[in-house]
Amino acid sequence: MNIVVCLKQVPDTETQIKIGPDNKSIVTDDIKWVINPYDEFGVEEALQLKEKFGGEVTVVGMGPKRVTESIRTALAMGADKGILITDDALEGSDSLATAKALAAVLKDLEYDLIFTGQRGVDDDMGVVGPALAELLGIPNLSLIVKVEAAEDGKSVKVNRPVEGETLVIESSLPALITAQKGLNEPRYASLPGIMKAKKKPLEEKTLGDLGLDAAQFGEGARKLKILEMTPPPERAAGKIVEGETPQEKAAELAKLLHEEAKVF
Amino acid sequence: MAERFISERNLKFMLYEVFDVEALTRYPYYQEHDREIFDLVLTTALRMGKDLLQPALQEMDKNPPQFVDGQVKVHPMVRPFMKQCGEGGWIGAGAPFELGGQQFPLMISAAFRFILAAANYSASVYPLLTSGAAHLITSFGTREMIRTYVPKMFAGEWQGTMALTEPQAGSSLSDITTLAVPTDQGYYRMHGQKIFISAGAHDGVENVIHLLLARIKGAPPGVKGISLFVVPNKRMQEGGGLIPNDVNVSGVYHKLGYRGSPITQLSLGERDDCRGYLVGEPHRGLSYMFQMMNEARIDVGLGAAAIASAAYYAALEYARDRIQGRRLSAKDPTTPPVPIIAHPDVKRMLLFQRAVVEGSLSLILQCAQYADRMRVTDGEEKEDLHLLLDLLTPAAKTYPSEMGILSVSQGLQCLGGYGYCDEFPLEQFYRDARIHPIHEGTTGIQGLDLLGRKVIMQEGRALVLFCKEMEKTIRSGEEFAVLDPYAQRLKQALEKLKTITSHLVRLGEQKGAECFLADATLYLELFGIIAVAWQWLVQAVSVQRAFKEDLSDGERNFYQGKWYACRFFFHYELPKIEGLSRRLLESNGLTVEMKEAFFGD
Ligand SMILES: Cc1cc2nc3c(=O)[nH]c(=O)nc-3n(C[C@H](O)[C@H](O)[C@H](O)COP(=O)(O)OP(=O)(O)OC[C@H]3O[C@@H](n4cnc5c(N)ncnc54)[C@H](O)[C@@H]3O)c2cc1C
Repeated sequence: MNIVVCLKQVPDTETQIKIGPDNKSIVTDDIKWVINPYDEFGVEEALQLKEKFGGEVTVVGMGPKRVTESIRTALAMGADKGILITDDALEGSDSLATAKALAAVLKDLEYDLIFTGQRGVDDDMGVVGPALAELLGIPNLSLIVKVEAAEDGKSVKVNRPVEGETLVIESSLPALITAQKGLNEPRYASLPGIMKAKKKPLEEKTLGDLGLDAAQFGEGARKLKILEMTPPPERAAGKIVEGETPQEKAAELAKLLHEEAKVF
Repeated sequence: MAERFISERNLKFMLYEVFDVEALTRYPYYQEHDREIFDLVLTTALRMGKDLLQPALQEMDKNPPQFVDGQVKVHPMVRPFMKQCGEGGWIGAGAPFELGGQQFPLMISAAFRFILAAANYSASVYPLLTSGAAHLITSFGTREMIRTYVPKMFAGEWQGTMALTEPQAGSSLSDITTLAVPTDQGYYRMHGQKIFISAGAHDGVENVIHLLLARIKGAPPGVKGISLFVVPNKRMQEGGGLIPNDVNVSGVYHKLGYRGSPITQLSLGERDDCRGYLVGEPHRGLSYMFQMMNEARIDVGLGAAAIASAAYYAALEYARDRIQGRRLSAKDPTTPPVPIIAHPDVKRMLLFQRAVVEGSLSLILQCAQYADRMRVTDGEEKEDLHLLLDLLTPAAKTYPSEMGILSVSQGLQCLGGYGYCDEFPLEQFYRDARIHPIHEGTTGIQGLDLLGRKVIMQEGRALVLFCKEMEKTIRSGEEFAVLDPYAQRLKQALEKLKTITSHLVRLGEQKGAECFLADATLYLELFGIIAVAWQWLVQAVSVQRAFKEDLSDGERNFYQGKWYACRFFFHYELPKIEGLSRRLLESNGLTVEMKEAFFGD
């Protein structure tokens, strides 16, 4: 079973994010970059399927050279090869453009399954997976927490949680799965894995290599424009409910919830 | 609960900018490695620390190992963690390729251990002990022995230990009495008691392999009659399978801290069926064991610095959040109060912690770098590195251990009353840290080792080499106008160290060993402060180089923080040698003359 995992590099959620002077982007200087956690679930699931069915796991990333480090991490976990789409003209691309670039790489690869994260924890768009499935004309199975491949490797049964219930979906292959938290516990890279990762193929491709027109990518081609970024409002000071007895405090709290917070 | 326990930025600064671990990869032995690999190791260690170890930190403290029906039950995370360390190749990381290792530089292994120990010291000890014990077998054991034990140990299935201490022989290893009676079957029958043996038996592994010191029947008294044995809790049966080897656990101790790992009392040969296998030659056991002990001593220093690092980041987070009091200059009581990190005295406590943590880590990585370079050099150069490592080991163990306690204490102090309560991890760190001046040779013993052995060996050659290393750093410091005053301070401190050393040696010649060594612990304290001052100057040189580059705001802040911590050390810590040197230059053997009878009332 050949599997492709699309991987995005995002700021570590522990990094202090600062908004840039243009008020439309973040300052990237002092950011610690990590693999988008949802994509990591995809890597793990792909490796588990490979262990069962054989085949190859290819990791595809897009962005500046630093993304190599994240791809290498996936290779150290056990993926077989990596492809990095990197081109100055890609800077500032929106999700649809990203899906287009990924689709261009994928059309030359043999795959049974594609994993993406259900969304990137940076922009929270959740568009790349479904858009990519659409561009490739394959089924899109989103927000998946369990994957069972048929013994013959020709179809999958997947679970999606919906409002406390579970939707079980069966699909032919090839298909695209967007990974949701709960799918698995991503493994740690092993030391031999880390040593081997260096020797695994990692190819770089530009838009030109993919036969794509640079004008359709980057800031200028965005269909979705960011008008402004603002930091979340500072949390207002809390209020301590006064009262002699629990009853008094409860009454005071109810009054505040009604009159000030207006929750009922 | 505070999330951060180390600074990745600082580790990378040390590894790449200060100690240039990448330079090692030019040697054939390390040529398979590169920075990308090292970075991946750090990333993985951080993830393991965060996801696997830190969540169990408090739990392991609250539910210490239990001794039930002759079995030692440890926290359920120990088994998967050991397995993870085994499968991930972390236990054998430093071993050569042909032994199943990855030839990792010690600097990188040390960084890996530092991260795990900062996340959860107790947990980190299980794989660490196993690495050390396996290294002892690969260094001095037979091929057969290596084949039998090492793969299982590297896989995390079997635990390794170092079993030295006996009820009557702690600091004084020459007094051990565990007996090994030779047989004509190629093994020895073991009899005796071992106590305080870390991870000596537990249910997180299938078997435990003790690297154990004992005396062969009829051996000469003292250290010249001590031999090293492999004694498994379960031994291989002919035809396969494991059977009990008559190593009986008689109990576990309840400890102040470091509660996630058991220390056991072992009774060997109660049924006259405990087999031990001699490692290397008879009567040379202590010298072999010193390999493991020296590594373990540096690891103790590393563990101490790691706990202090976790305490620092917890204190820092609190100091930024806790609103209390107003600035000393604010006269109006209606102005809003400030976070306590605005108070100079709180900043002093935080800087003190940084100065200790990062100074200690630097000294330890310096030792690791000497060890790594020893691997790829030979002749006199190698011998020199060996001497430097030998000389610095007592300080690399003791400075972090003793100062780590004070550092954690200041971290706890930053939290005021909350620091004393168990909602915050500081009280645990404070208890956990207390072990380090005790195990692997007490501070007192380290002092004797430094002054009584290391400083005077080969007519003081190690000390001469150490002075040369410092002089090299002093010269680098002198090239920067802002560093020059600190280079001069270090130069004066170095002169003091030389003067005191010759004074003590002379005192010893005149008044004997008792007077010479009575204040060896003070000498070690002074030596440690000077060694760490040296390391701060080493770091400061890299900081000043970085300031010449075009830096982002975050990077500039990092180097500024370093620069302040460095100066803090020189202004607040280095002056402490004045008091020490005043005492050390006196000649009265006050503690020698004090009599037991005077202590009573
Ligand atoms: C948590 C823990 C884990 C341990 N793990 C292990 C282990 O895995 N394997 C192992 O073999 N041991 C282990 N030990 C034992 C440890 O190494 C000893 O406790 C230590 O070496 C001190 O020995 P002791 O306890 O007998 O103290 P003692 O030797 O009785 O020392 C008591 C005091 O006297 C001082 N003193 C003793 N002799 C001298 C001297 N000649 N000159 C000046 N001062 C002296 C010491 O510095 C100390 O302050 C462990 C101990 C603990 C608490």
